[in-house]
This record gives sequence, structure tokens and C-alpha cells, in this order.
Amino acid sequence: MKLLRLVVKNLRRRPMRTLLTVGGVACAMLMLVLVQSLGAGLDAALSGSEAARTLIVYRLNRYCPQTSFLPEWYGPRIEQLAGVTSVLPVKVYLNNCRASLDIVPFNGVPAERLAGSRKFDVLDGDYGRFLAERDAALVGRSFAERKNLAVGDQFRFGGINVKVAGIFGSSEPVEEGTVVTHLEYLQRAVAVNRLGTVTQFEVKIDDPARAKEISAQIDDLFRTAPEPTDTRPRILFLEHATRDLREILRFAELLGLACVAVVLALVANTVAMSVQERVREFGVFRTLGFHARHVAALVIGEALVLALSGGALGLGAALAVIRFSSLTIGAEGVPVSFSTQPELIVRGFAIALATGLIAGLAPAIRSSRSEIVASLRSA
Amino acid sequence: MGFIELRDVTKTYRKGEHVVTPLDRVSLDIEAGEFCVLLGPSGSGKTTLMNLVAAIDRADSGELRVGGTELTKLSASALADWRARTVGYIFQQSNLVPVLTAYENVELPLWLQPLSRAERHARVSLALAAVGLSDRAEHLPKQLSGGQEQRVAIARAIVADPPLLVADEPTGNLDHDSAEGVLSLLERLNRERGKTILMVTHDPRAAERGTRHFRLDKGVLAEGAEARR
Repeated sequence: MKLLRLVVKNLRRRPMRTLLTVGGVACAMLMLVLVQSLGAGLDAALSGSEAARTLIVYRLNRYCPQTSFLPEWYGPRIEQLAGVTSVLPVKVYLNNCRASLDIVPFNGVPAERLAGSRKFDVLDGDYGRFLAERDAALVGRSFAERKNLAVGDQFRFGGINVKVAGIFGSSEPVEEGTVVTHLEYLQRAVAVNRLGTVTQFEVKIDDPARAKEISAQIDDLFRTAPEPTDTRPRILFLEHATRDLREILRFAELLGLACVAVVLALVANTVAMSVQERVREFGVFRTLGFHARHVAALVIGEALVLALSGGALGLGAALAVIRFSSLTIGAEGVPVSFSTQPELIVRGFAIALATGLIAGLAPAIRSSRSEIVASLRSA
Repeated sequence: MGFIELRDVTKTYRKGEHVVTPLDRVSLDIEAGEFCVLLGPSGSGKTTLMNLVAAIDRADSGELRVGGTELTKLSASALADWRARTVGYIFQQSNLVPVLTAYENVELPLWLQPLSRAERHARVSLALAAVGLSDRAEHLPKQLSGGQEQRVAIARAIVADPPLLVADEPTGNLDHDSAEGVLSLLERLNRERGKTILMVTHDPRAAERGTRHFRLDKGVLAEGAEARR
């Protein structure tokens, strides 16, 4: 405790240098945490419990919801296949097919079939009102939080005007980032009337082991139709849709690692300079009876305080950015939220801790091993 | 048996390609409670001898016993503990920690002892009172004069109540009045508290305060009237 007090006082000797170092660590931590939270969000998006027994039927050779149009009548045909338990036609409407930081995905579905096809809980609001009113919407929990929406609110996006009838939670993280409306309302609301067509079908099957076989059967049904299909298990569909994002993320993670290296150098440089200026002082400490380990603890303590305070600042800034800037990145219509799990915070602090330890190690060893007399002679 | 005993102590170090021997088989005995002054030209090994006695440097050969402890046989860690208990070191420059107040600087050696906050406070207050700086306790070193800084350094050296004080030209950077104050303080500590003092100085007036005098020159140690010439 007494050493910690001394560590803090030492860091205040050169306030500007300390501030710049802490600021540098904070910036690096901010970037690292944002990248990692996006990675965690992506993992969460691919981890839905229903992903294994859900197939997504999409237009062949189309990758954006804006270009996938399938006739609604495909639904009853698919439903007849053995092993299929339900089929939900979905019209997807969104603002941007490319990578976007503020994606707004609407899912238009036949309201009366929703409860039989998707697992969700209405956390707030009235499901009956959603069924009864054609411009009503059920809003996913994370989307509502992101856009600060409450039951009864009305919002407009891309010419589509809806009232929030309820807020739902789901075991599928991707679905919690969407707005569910009536199918026909969405079909009519967009600029070009697309009545009778949907973007995709969500097909539930009774046995996940038969996913590949049933996918092939569905695609065979429409192989010669004007709108051929491409059916995949939901997990593969999500992986395919987010593959570009994952590539970018992999590169960003490398940048994150580079940031850690920069932070390491920054803290090590600051501590080395600070130690260089106090060689004689360390000699005095040793003369007074302080052990070499006390001097080492003092130096490592300074590195740790720099790294941890910068880390805490960066972590706090990252959490604030995620909380208040409503970021959700989208790829081919799949919304991926920045996820701030407790593990992320623990990992951030662990990285800061390791950085401080490693950065302080060499100066600490050097200072503690210096001969007392030589230290006292130092200018 | 003396409080400080040196038997054939030799210390060498390398200076470029040359080997320098500031202490060559030096022997001496100092009794507890003596105020000894070490004189000699620059580079004669005075500070080296003092550093060996204060256990911040190691002899190459010989025996060195202080307060009954053979210093040449102790590990670095044991020497640190021994220093904390036994020696108060007064430097030529005060060498106070600039970010700590006078009170905190004096308190430093007590961090190493199992004392309560109240006990530490009592000891620091006593030490600051002894050097006449109770009213400067919350001042940083830069807010003190040179003489005051040196008195804080003396308070730091005596706060743990060590039996031995070593002082390396403690008045070297002070004006006449401040130097007088510091020397009187050392004299009082020797007379009233029985501290054994070993002081290195070039200043003849400072040397007058000692009760015993040694001169080191080219590795030869002389004592008494011969030393004071």
C-alpha cells in the first residue's frame, strides 16, 4: 500500500508523459476491445440454438436480400417434404447490403405463422396487438436497446412506418437485432410492389442430421423453375453471409495485436525513461535498507499502474462507444451486434496486466541489480 | 572488541585497463559512541571505506565486523536488513525523494519495520523535532533551503534509531551557518544519544568536531595528530 502511494506520486512527477502514455494505452485498448467485441458478437450470431434444425432457402446466386425474390407459392411445396415441420416465408428489407455500422433489418412474415415457426418471448407489449394491427411491429430486444425504442413508439425507416407493439427476446441473437412486421405490409411498403414474393424461407426440420438431404430435395424441387433456390442449414447460411466480415475481423485482430505491441513499447519506454532519471534515488532506497525486490516492485508497479489505468480508460471508452453509439454491423442482411460480455472486460484487463508486467520487467531487473555505490554516483 | 573492526580489508576496482586499490589491507578499531573523522585527499579511499562500513559495498578480502556482525559473510538480502537496523547514512547532497514531503521522506526507513501508523508518526515527529523542523513536515524538498534539506536527511538517518551514523561530507554543499547547524546536530547526536559517527570531510572546521581522526592516503591509514596535519 505504501509502495503504491509512492508509485502514484512518482507517476505525477512528469504529468504530461504519464498522461500521454495512459492516453496511448487507452486508445489501443479502445480499438482492441471494439474488435474483440465485434468478434464476440459474430460468434454469438453463429451460436443460435435453433441454427442446426433450421434451413434457409435463398435465391440461387444471390447474396443480398435486395436481390433475392422467391415466389410465395414455394412455401406449400416445401412444407410437403418429409421431415419438414414448418415453413416461414420472410421478406427481408434493409438499408444496406454492404458492411454497414447502422443496419436496420425488417423481417416481414405472415403474422399468424410466426409463433409456430420461431421461438421467441414477448418481453414487453402486446402480441395480440401485433396480430391485429397491420402496421404493428415486434422489435428485437437488442434493436430496441440500440435505437432506444419502447412499446407504443412509432418509427420510420426507408419509407416504412411502423408502431412498436412489443419487444421480444430470442435464443437466436441475430433475430434479436431485427424488426418483425406483417409480410404483406412490408411487401406493399417498399418502392416496388413485391406482392407474392419473399426473400427467403425459413424451414424447420425434425432431424438436424437430415439437413443436407432435405436441402438437396428443396433445391431439386425448383431446379428448373425461373427462380432456382440455394438451400443451406442456417449456420452455413450465416457463415457464408458473414465471411467477408470475418476476413476483415481477422485482419483487425492482427491490428489489435499490433496495438498491444505498440502499447508494450510505449509503457516500456516511459518506465525506462523514468527509471533512468532515478538511478541515484534507487541507490538511496537500497542504502536505507530497501531490498532489491522493493525497487523491482516499485518499477513494475509503475508499469502496471500505467497499463491498467490506460486499459481501464480504453475499456470504459469502448463500452461507452458500444452503449451509446448504437453500432450494429451488417453483412448481407445479417445484423451482428457488438457484444460486451464480462469475459471481454476480464480479457481486456488481463491484456493490460500482462502488458504492464512485461513492459516493467526489464527496467525492474536492471534497477534492482544495479550496484548501490554505482547508483549513488549516477548524476 | 570494538564496535567497528577492520582487519586487512582490501578493496579494488577497475578503471578502464587499470586496477585501482583505494584500500590496501586497512585495519582499524572504533569503539561504540566515538565520533570519528576520516580525512584525506580526493580519491584516497575515504568514501570507499565508509561505504564498506555502511555495507553498501563489499570488500575483496579481509574481515569487517560492525556491532558484532561479520558483514563479509552476509547475503545481499541480509545486508539490506542489517542496514535498515544498524546504519543511518547522511549523503553530501540530501538525496531526498522530491515527490515526498519532509515527513514522508523521514518516514521512509520505517516502512521496513513492523510499526503501526501511530508508532511511525510518533517516531517521525520526534526525529523532525530533533532537527528543529517540525513546522516543515508537509513541505516538499524543493520548498526547503539546502540546510533544511540536509537536516531532513539527518532526521531520516536517525528515525529508525540506528547505533551507527555515517556521513559523507555532510556539509560539503552548505553555507557556513547551515554547516554549523548540521555539525552541532551531529555532535549532539553523538554526545546525547550515544551514536557512533563516522564522517568523511575535507573541511577542517568540520573535522574539529570529531573525537578521533583518521587519514587515508595511498592506502595507508594514519591516526591522531599525524592524521590532522
